[in-house]
Amino acid sequence: MALPIDPSASPSGQQFGTVFASVVSTAKASLVAVFDKRHGAGAGILWSTDGLVLTNRHVLGRRHPKVLLADERQLDAEVIATDEEVDLALLRVDACDLPTARIGDSTQLRVGELVFTLGHPWGQRNAASFGVISHLGSAQTRGRRGLIPIIRTDARLAPGNSGGPLLNAAGEVVGINTMIVGGNQGIAIPSAVAVDFVEQVKVKSSV
Amino acid sequence: MSPNSDLQALSSALAAAVQSAGASVVTVDARQRFPASGVVTEPGLVLTASHVVQEDEIKVTLPDGDELNAELLGRDSNSDLALLKLSAQKGTAAQTNENPQIGQLALALGRPTAEGVQASLGIASAIGGPVRTHHGGLLESYLRTDAIPYPGFSGGPLVDAEGRVLGINTSGLGMGASLTIPAKLAWQIAKALEEHGSVKRGYLGVRSQLVEIAEDARKALKREQETGLLIMGVEKNSPAAAAGLIVGDIIVGFAGQSISDHDELLLQLNSGVVGKAIDLEVLRGGKPQVVKVTIGEQAESREQHFRGPIRGRRFGYHHWGWRR
Repeated sequence: MALPIDPSASPSGQQFGTVFASVVSTAKASLVAVFDKRHGAGAGILWSTDGLVLTNRHVLGRRHPKVLLADERQLDAEVIATDEEVDLALLRVDACDLPTARIGDSTQLRVGELVFTLGHPWGQRNAASFGVISHLGSAQTRGRRGLIPIIRTDARLAPGNSGGPLLNAAGEVVGINTMIVGGNQGIAIPSAVAVDFVEQVKVKSSV
Repeated sequence: MSPNSDLQALSSALAAAVQSAGASVVTVDARQRFPASGVVTEPGLVLTASHVVQEDEIKVTLPDGDELNAELLGRDSNSDLALLKLSAQKGTAAQTNENPQIGQLALALGRPTAEGVQASLGIASAIGGPVRTHHGGLLESYLRTDAIPYPGFSGGPLVDAEGRVLGINTSGLGMGASLTIPAKLAWQIAKALEEHGSVKRGYLGVRSQLVEIAEDARKALKREQETGLLIMGVEKNSPAAAAGLIVGDIIVGFAGQSISDHDELLLQLNSGVVGKAIDLEVLRGGKPQVVKVTIGEQAESREQHFRGPIRGRRFGYHHWGWRR
């Protein structure tokens, strides 16, 4: 497919810039910050309108996490379930009518696709970065008990991005940003793994 | 949803570029460390980075998983490129784009593992050259990108948003960051490696130093040229000796082109002039003279010659074409 590289062709670079901004601003509504350790914060996404929050397991400490919503409400959260293997955790806050993240299908991802990240790198609230899907591979889980698919991206990540969304060009969450390797490669847990995790929790605990 | 759909169109175009270009990106396993990448220039031929080919046993894995043995047809340390011949005429030839534009979207691709092609997005950041590499040679042109060269990307391509190869990425030239050899130059080198097993470089056989041209001589030259190359030594049995060049001559021109520094002379001593009689313009005793020199062929790669303490610019002079 031919691309509009010629500046006179539409859409213009300025239009693309505006579109980048609209994808990010739409997704920001469902981005939260998760505090549970003495220093720093992680990110998370609103999973359901009635208060389910998905984040990384490693963002949580031993204390009770607090969740800061995009509308600046700070709420105590209850840890519903965690899974060390895939580094995911499901929390619940006492709120309703929340703007939930739109979840995309990570199994349809292709290498080279545009992606955006949202999170709080180095404590900077609601920061975005962009890049492409670098690699669709697999990795051993934390306990080395199995293989899970992972997404690698060249979008810049930093501490504070953990638990935040990896978005596709449609603004859908296709992954949960989890790790940085080699200083310049981000690793995200695919949304399909996150969906499985939440479904299993729902079956087990009927939340 | 229309603005979003533009973005989705761009996104899927990039994914399509990776897919189409990725069909020509192969795994090159010829070193102890993890494998690197290569690009199929035509069925059966793979262009890769010279520094990743370290062992005699070379294995190339095609995108479809087909693992083939390969032999080294030749390498050029100056551009850090090597050409491999596969044991079967397989592989999909890459398309090239020989007109890179600064600022255009570019994807660095690699295939260091069996888990598929990998990509990183950036732009073509700079076009440069000629530049002296740390091997002592002169690289005619190069590209730089801000796309991240992940481990194993050496030998892989930098492609445009339509999947056409802009150049071959390498981190082996030791110039700080990774560098991209532009497609036009890379394919020329591939052709030379296929035909001769090496890139022919012109051989003159002089040692020289950059000097200022005296006022009188400059007037006699009848052009605005401030510097030339003072011949400090002429090698025995060299083209320079055969042509009667002597110590004290100042080289100021080569085949009608003015020569005011070493890089300009190195650029002229390319494969095109090997075996040809060239008009070399020198100042002898302050007077311009034209000397016909039949340019020889450099016997070995420059890399080997320049591994001495007198390599580089530090001592104020260069030498080239010094046969051992």
